[in-house]
Amino acid sequence: MGLMGNLLQSEFRKTITTGLWWGLMIPTVLLAFGWGLGTGFLGKGFVDLASQSDVEQLSDIFGITPDQWRVSLFGIARSINVATIFPMIFGGLAIANEINRRTITTTFLTSSSRGAALSAKMLVYILWGAIFGLAIVLSVALGVILSSDSSQLPDASGWLALATAGLVASVLMTMFGVGVGALMTSVVGTTVVLLLYMLLVENGLSLVLSINGLEQVIGFLPNGSVNGITGSVAADLFMSSAGVVPDELQLALRYMAGAGGAFDWWLSGLIFLSWTAIAFVGGWAATARKDIT
Amino acid sequence: MHDGSGRIVVQNLTKQFGPVTAVQNLSFTVEPGSVTGFLGPNGAGKTTTLRMLLGLVSPTAGFATINGSPFGRLGQPGRVVGAVLEAQGFHPKRTARNHLKVYASAVGVPDQRADQVLQLVGLGSAGDRKVGGYSLGMKQRLALATALLGDPQVLVLDEPANGLDPEGIAWLRTFLQSYARSGRTVLISSHLLAEVEQTVDQVVIISRGQTMYYGPLDHLRQSQQSRVIVQPSDVGALVTALRAEGVQAIEQLPDGRLAVAGVTSKYIADAALKAGVSVYGMQEEQIDLERLFFQLTSGQYAAPGYPGTGYYVQQQPPQQGGWA
Ligand SMILES: Nc1ncnc2c1ncn2[C@@H]1O[C@H](COP(=O)(O)OP(=O)(O)O)[C@@H](O)[C@H]1O
Ligand SMILES: [Mg+2]
Repeated sequence: MGLMGNLLQSEFRKTITTGLWWGLMIPTVLLAFGWGLGTGFLGKGFVDLASQSDVEQLSDIFGITPDQWRVSLFGIARSINVATIFPMIFGGLAIANEINRRTITTTFLTSSSRGAALSAKMLVYILWGAIFGLAIVLSVALGVILSSDSSQLPDASGWLALATAGLVASVLMTMFGVGVGALMTSVVGTTVVLLLYMLLVENGLSLVLSINGLEQVIGFLPNGSVNGITGSVAADLFMSSAGVVPDELQLALRYMAGAGGAFDWWLSGLIFLSWTAIAFVGGWAATARKDIT
Repeated sequence: MHDGSGRIVVQNLTKQFGPVTAVQNLSFTVEPGSVTGFLGPNGAGKTTTLRMLLGLVSPTAGFATINGSPFGRLGQPGRVVGAVLEAQGFHPKRTARNHLKVYASAVGVPDQRADQVLQLVGLGSAGDRKVGGYSLGMKQRLALATALLGDPQVLVLDEPANGLDPEGIAWLRTFLQSYARSGRTVLISSHLLAEVEQTVDQVVIISRGQTMYYGPLDHLRQSQQSRVIVQPSDVGALVTALRAEGVQAIEQLPDGRLAVAGVTSKYIADAALKAGVSVYGMQEEQIDLERLFFQLTSGQYAAPGYPGTGYYVQQQPPQQGGWA
């Protein structure tokens, strides 16, 4: 095994020799499953409501009857987005925890360079992002399947697209966390900042932007772009199965999928990747030069 | 990448933390085959120096090398140098064995090595306990075990005796001596000479970030000199008289008496007579090693003009030993 292989194994062992990974995995699975279940019921309730004759004009809009709407798509995207908070926190603690526990000293003493140690860590957390992503997709799917009618569920290719988007989002969120953690170096600081920003600050900001007709900006923001990955896939899938959808309704659908103001899934991914890179390069620069005293 | 010599070179090393000069133009070398003590009072700059040597702190000026190479270019540093540092941490929820396995992979040694070093430092039976429950002494042992993972040629220890029980200290002493005797390099810091006196062959003594003495401990021992404790009627007048005659090694003791080194009591009595100062008492005293260490490093706290302590402290260089 080469030097990098050694460091990869070392970094991976760090993650599995403390309880943190399953401490975060349990709430991830529960939250993903709960959201999948909840949004499934909501969607089903909505379709039942829409199927009643007095809102029948809605079905005219989509060209198909409500019982054929794949409403679960929105819930799936939203549930994935919410659950990826946990892999982000997991990533955020990667470097912050080592600095806090002062194990970073031993880490740097045993690696060929700080850059090598940080790269190995990033690669291992990319793997963890994928593991969390898989768990999230499976848990959400289970919840949604249990609570939705089969006609409301995506088809096989839809599932595949959403699962891929979910995995990508989870990996990117983890990497984003790693970068922010390296930049902040404080466990509490990193956790609070990540949670506050992703759950509150940006949502408030998005609201203000939407009210002022600046929703395009949302797609450039971290939370807006990462949600745009799964959200855009879900909205596209819904519309492709719904026939002709008027423009003004498309926007509403994208908001429902959590992709309000967001770009296409791949562009959203690239934008969020840029945020990740900024955080990581900043964190790298700080950690690579820092005096470890 | 490195020359395998086992030599540590510290050359004109300086570190400035904002307004604080932690280390100032420090130079010394450490040769393999011996245990070198790195001594100085608290705050003298020992930890900072060792961290610069290990690439953890970047020097403001100067450089430090291990085996002829800066730490960052050793390639596989864990195989070349092992270090036990102050404030080197452990994850409290990780067991000692897992901690060692984590770093065994990084260093590139098989997992059995983790068990070997656990046995070596006497933690064999505690290996599966979480480090959070370890005592300070056990953590020191675990830190040493981590340092030994790569079977390194150079061992650097920063105040390793902290937290160790007397039994542990005795064990460490024997261990380090045999480690050095096998041709390897051991550098160990301490703020107490007595703590390492029986372990080290060479010493580097620093104070306020500067080298005060560096050379064999034996030379320092041989340079131990006697001094005369004198109780004059007028301290100031006697000091002035002695300094006028070129006597520099004068120190005022806390009880008000003067300690004068480098001259005989007869000399002092004559000087006192000439200056018209009465002498109420005088006695000759052998300076022990600890006393000498204190003299070498006391500049830090007893600088001229510093209120409360002797006002005329001047370093008296030992005759032998390499001076930096
Ligand atoms: N990270 C730091 N920031 C500011 N000052 C520091 C830092 N680390 C050490 N110092 C200062 O540098 C001096 C030398 O400290 P240190 O190397 O720890 O000494 P020693 O190990 O000999 O006790 C002290 O005055 C200390 O306060
Ligand atoms: Mg120290």
